[in-house]
Amino acid sequence: MGKPSDLVQGTLDLLILKTLLPEAMHGWAIAKRIQQISGEVLQVQQGSLYPALHRLEQQGWIKAKWQESETRRQAKFYALTAAGRKQLESETANWNRLSAAINLIVGEA
Amino acid sequence: MSFRGLFRRRVDDTRLEDELGFHLDRQIAENIAAGMNPAEAKYAALRTFGNPALVREQTRATWGWSKLESLAQDVRYTARALLRQTGFSATIVGTMALGIGAAAAMFTVVDHVLLRPVSYKDPSRLVVMQEGDPGGRQVWDLSWLDVSEWRHSARSFAQIAMLRHMSGRSYLEGQNAALEVTGMSVSANLFPVLGVEPQLGRGFVPEEPSFAQGKNAGSIVLSYPAWQEGFGGDKGIIGKTLKINTTTYTVVGVMPVGFEYPIGGKHAPEVWTAVSLAESDRKRDYTGMDFTVIARLAKGATVQSAQNEMSILQKRVAADYTDADLRKEHSTVKVQPLVNTLVTADVRRALIALLGASGVLWLIASLNVTNLLLARNMARQRETAMRVALGASRLRVVQQMLVEGFALNGTAALLGIGLAVASVSILARELSRTLPVPIPARPDGWILLALLGMTLLSTLVSTAWPAWLAARAPVEPALKQGGLQAGTTRRQHRVRGVLVAAEIAMSLCLLVVCGLLLRTIYTLRHVPLGFRTDHILVANLSIPAFHYDNQNIVTALYDPLLERVQHLHGVQNAGLMSEVPLGNTFRVQLGLRKNDSSMITGMLKPVSPEVQQIFGFKMAAGRFFDKTDTPTSQQAAIVNRAFAKIYAPNAQDPDSIVGTKFWSFKKNVETRIIGILDDQRQAQVSKDSQPEVEICLCQITPDSGIYNPSTVGMDLAVRTDRPTAEMIPELRDVLRQASPELGTATITTMDQIVEDSYGSQRLAAHLLEIFGGSALVLCMAGLYGLLAYLVSQRTRELGVRIALGARRGNLVWMVLRQAGVMLVAGIALGTGLAFAAGKLVDRFLYGVSAHDAWTLAAAPALLLAVGLLAAYLPARRAASVDPMEALRAE
Repeated sequence: MGKPSDLVQGTLDLLILKTLLPEAMHGWAIAKRIQQISGEVLQVQQGSLYPALHRLEQQGWIKAKWQESETRRQAKFYALTAAGRKQLESETANWNRLSAAINLIVGEA
Repeated sequence: MSFRGLFRRRVDDTRLEDELGFHLDRQIAENIAAGMNPAEAKYAALRTFGNPALVREQTRATWGWSKLESLAQDVRYTARALLRQTGFSATIVGTMALGIGAAAAMFTVVDHVLLRPVSYKDPSRLVVMQEGDPGGRQVWDLSWLDVSEWRHSARSFAQIAMLRHMSGRSYLEGQNAALEVTGMSVSANLFPVLGVEPQLGRGFVPEEPSFAQGKNAGSIVLSYPAWQEGFGGDKGIIGKTLKINTTTYTVVGVMPVGFEYPIGGKHAPEVWTAVSLAESDRKRDYTGMDFTVIARLAKGATVQSAQNEMSILQKRVAADYTDADLRKEHSTVKVQPLVNTLVTADVRRALIALLGASGVLWLIASLNVTNLLLARNMARQRETAMRVALGASRLRVVQQMLVEGFALNGTAALLGIGLAVASVSILARELSRTLPVPIPARPDGWILLALLGMTLLSTLVSTAWPAWLAARAPVEPALKQGGLQAGTTRRQHRVRGVLVAAEIAMSLCLLVVCGLLLRTIYTLRHVPLGFRTDHILVANLSIPAFHYDNQNIVTALYDPLLERVQHLHGVQNAGLMSEVPLGNTFRVQLGLRKNDSSMITGMLKPVSPEVQQIFGFKMAAGRFFDKTDTPTSQQAAIVNRAFAKIYAPNAQDPDSIVGTKFWSFKKNVETRIIGILDDQRQAQVSKDSQPEVEICLCQITPDSGIYNPSTVGMDLAVRTDRPTAEMIPELRDVLRQASPELGTATITTMDQIVEDSYGSQRLAAHLLEIFGGSALVLCMAGLYGLLAYLVSQRTRELGVRIALGARRGNLVWMVLRQAGVMLVAGIALGTGLAFAAGKLVDRFLYGVSAHDAWTLAAAPALLLAVGLLAAYLPARRAASVDPMEALRAE
């Protein structure tokens, strides 16, 4: 992606929360999944993932647990909490509203 | 979570390493699987990842501090905001300080008197025992024979201790001159029973009281004040000798600070010697009965089980009495917990009532603050909405309001504790007269803890409603509205109105109760006392009788003293009485029996003839003592009307008692009654006179039966025109010359003594005056605040009305009507509350009923007047709105 900006941080949170909705994953898997699902369009700067993950954990929207990974090595798995689910809904709604508004303007011109 | 982060830094660091390492390894593995060689794979992975060290730093930065950060932010913001709006903050802080201060002061008193009055071990297991007659009259003084029987047979007690006062007044000769002390003879197990050990020395050797000289003979234990005042806190005091009156004792122990037993009573420092039984203890008669008993319950025993056992046991003990009257008087035993006896039920009720009143005041203050905060938050709706729109969670908004509330209430609490300490110090004199336990003015740990709890409670109560509203307020309407002029709903106004009405109701309640008590005081003050009180100085003397062992104290001390005092410049007259009326200092009780009816207690007072002129006692018949009464003339006695009514030979004519024979004070010399005194108030203004007998000091010689009581305590009454401040030092000098121990006598005026005798009613009335006055002020402030705010909210509307032709008068009327509604609602509710409260204070009232119409009418009238006054300013402001300004303003 291009230069990081404030908007990007909020969106990153949204992406992470959405990715964790189906199941719990560790950091690397989240990065890969985002890349995958967006059809290779979004390449998250992997380094910026971890501050975001820890921040979301502090805020109580995701919770972490160390357990055995698919390679039989211990990894930190993150899962969505109930509060996180609610936050995801409201952020998604906000995003939709925002993007619809932007669409209108950009679509006009 | 954040605190955990502080302490587990190391562990979390390692874990972070692992996490990032895992990620990199997986990326490298993927790269290798895609065909790169290991070195290439590593570089590629690092490129996509970014600088691991940087990532580590960024991640660490998100740890644990976000919550604390937000808190710190809120604190800074709150401080700025509050300091900017000084008027608003000061009002809130002042209001809450009043409420918290009152509650803290009352709680201090209640805590020390009711909750933790004593510092003994396990005080709930300590009981005291009294004997009594079947009718319920109790006596405290018990004979050794009874006590030893109990110690032998009773199973309900782990240990029984006993004590009695040392006879006469005790004077300790320490390093620093003669010091009056309260001397107690105690059994060796008293301190173990109370569970307190001496801080110096070993105390008494355990042994039973006996008639022979025990191991503890000649030993003495000092209390902390006695040690400090008499010996300057000399650490090497153990083993040293001292004299009490003329007897030498060796010090074997010093008790810790604050230890006192018995509690209450005189405030002379205590000393304890070992009891030694005397011949008079072998019998069961009046001379041998002076023990007080305190016991610790045995394991598994309760007060009730002990009471049951003692009731049965006492039947056997009482059978041993030979005198039928005594047997009846001592036929029952009452066991009760020590803590119940320290404070009379009256005082306990009064304290709890006052605690309730202070709670009400606190509630009023809290309501006021809630109102003010509500108003302020309505004005800040837009700001709050903006914050929410920018992403603050509702919790964050509530957090900020809680921080604000806590800051305000915390400051108020600090001020409040200052107020509480100040008021306890100011009222110390009143308190010490009414309560048996001293109240220290400094707050201690428990009080501070209670204060913290109160602060938190205040914060919650005063910010709960505004916070809830702010948290639920819809964001968009607030953002859309133009300025401050709109956005408050009808419902919010009504809520605030209800709060103010509630305040008014509670204030009315306080005012009514206050009024009732004040009227009681007024009535008490107008009860005719029966004697003059103006221009009389009274010195309360403790007589060092041991100096006069082989002399006649009347001729050796009293007469010369009176002479010298009478010759002082400005003294019109001086006289001696064992106790001035209402003096509550020293009393001799006589047990009198008329034929075979039950005993009556009467007071016996040795007096000098001058007192009649000093106090203006009126004679109902006969004459008072005068110069013709000498040791060799007819022994004379004077009685009062209450006595004459009971004992006159002719029941229809009390005056017939004059000239009749009275109980002989001297062997073989008859005493005649020469006059009847008009009744006076003796112990309390609100109580009627008891029978009283007066004897002339001039006729008392060492072989009189009442010589000894006359040498214990005397009040010196001096009638003088000179100002008190001048007379007192001169008087003290004369006293000191007569005998050094008299130099420290308490000297006060008769007026002050009368004042002091009003007792607990005055204290309660003072406090309620303060509460009532504060409540009134708070109500005024609350009403004014609300109305002023409402008017300022409606300036635009008012401007429009005026522009459309409304008259100023109408606007004033509109505001006043709003105020009126709240006042009337509050007063109606408050009258109901006042009725209920009146029932609670009924027993403190004298001469006025709990539903006194005058008070119930005056208090609402006062509140109405004050309320309308508070509404006046906003009303005037409403009327003086300039329509052009109003319409232009935003």
